[in-house]
Amino acid sequence: MAYLLHPQLILPCPCGWRHHILAPPSSTATTMSPVLRNGLSGSVHTGEAFVRRSRSVRCMANPRRVKMVAKQIQRELSDMLLTDNVLQFAVLPEASLGADRYLSSLTTISDVEVSSDLQVVKVYVSVFGDERGKEVALAGLKSKAKYVRSELGRRMKLRLTPEIRFIEDESFERGSRVIAILDKIKNDKSLENKNMEHLDSSAQDDDDNWDDVDPDEGIIYVD
Amino acid sequence: MAKPIPKIGSRKNGRIGSRKHARKIPKGVIHVQASFNNTIVTVTDVRGRVISWSSAGTCGFKGTRRGTPFAAQTAAGNAIRTVANQGMQRAEVMIKGPGLGRDAALRAIRRSGILLNFIRDVTPMPHNGCRSPKKRRV
Repeated sequence: MAYLLHPQLILPCPCGWRHHILAPPSSTATTMSPVLRNGLSGSVHTGEAFVRRSRSVRCMANPRRVKMVAKQIQRELSDMLLTDNVLQFAVLPEASLGADRYLSSLTTISDVEVSSDLQVVKVYVSVFGDERGKEVALAGLKSKAKYVRSELGRRMKLRLTPEIRFIEDESFERGSRVIAILDKIKNDKSLENKNMEHLDSSAQDDDDNWDDVDPDEGIIYVD
Repeated sequence: MAKPIPKIGSRKNGRIGSRKHARKIPKGVIHVQASFNNTIVTVTDVRGRVISWSSAGTCGFKGTRRGTPFAAQTAAGNAIRTVANQGMQRAEVMIKGPGLGRDAALRAIRRSGILLNFIRDVTPMPHNGCRSPKKRRV
């Protein structure tokens, strides 16, 4: 899409004065703002092609721009989670009591998906902690969706601030469980091999421990 | 054979480098610094003296893959493996920074069988100090 990057400035060109580098006729009615800086950074108006279809105008942004906006939104939201007081009280109610950074659950924004017209943003949130912590965190975030939207509009310069939806991301949980099971199988197998090598081994004590060690047990939460 | 006694005052002899202490530390602190592009996991003792560290970059990932949660997981696993045979059972985790490594490293630590005492967030927060870098335009 190199043609989109060429500026439509009036340049002294050997062909003559006022030589525009036009987009090819296939994309009808592409309006571009005159100054393009590298195609990557720039004002809001760049990279949008207006496709005229039966009198309604739909704006579709450049896919590269969509990705950049998604990344920027992820940065802004993570920053907000870390620094903004209102959001933190929503996610972790005990912070308002002054728990001073001893956390019972940790919320992370794992992924952000933006629709191609930059109007809807799906934020995937992963919470580390027990069941109650998860529910509390997600409910708190959902209740602050409007506040988050207004904050985002204040921080980022977008023509239309998108609507934000928070979705729980379970992929971390599942992946962690799968890896834990695989590890357990591997350890069991290696223990079996060890036991078969030494016939009268005193390593049989280890077998008992694997059932007792419950990964969820030892965590002490400060409430 | 006795170890050479280090002369403290003179630098010419060179410093006695890393004498491997085989100290048994039952309790330690794990620092996780999770930025957007990388995750660094450092294991120290309670006073703060570093025992071992590992990062996504040292685990062999390069470029954009260092920032992924899987890289954070392997980094945490690596860092803990050195310490687990020194017999560390309980740990406190200090998390710094935004980034995907926070969650992934935590889960890896929990999976490795070390008990987590506390989880703290120690992201440095200025009381309105230095001027932050300019806004990225998108």
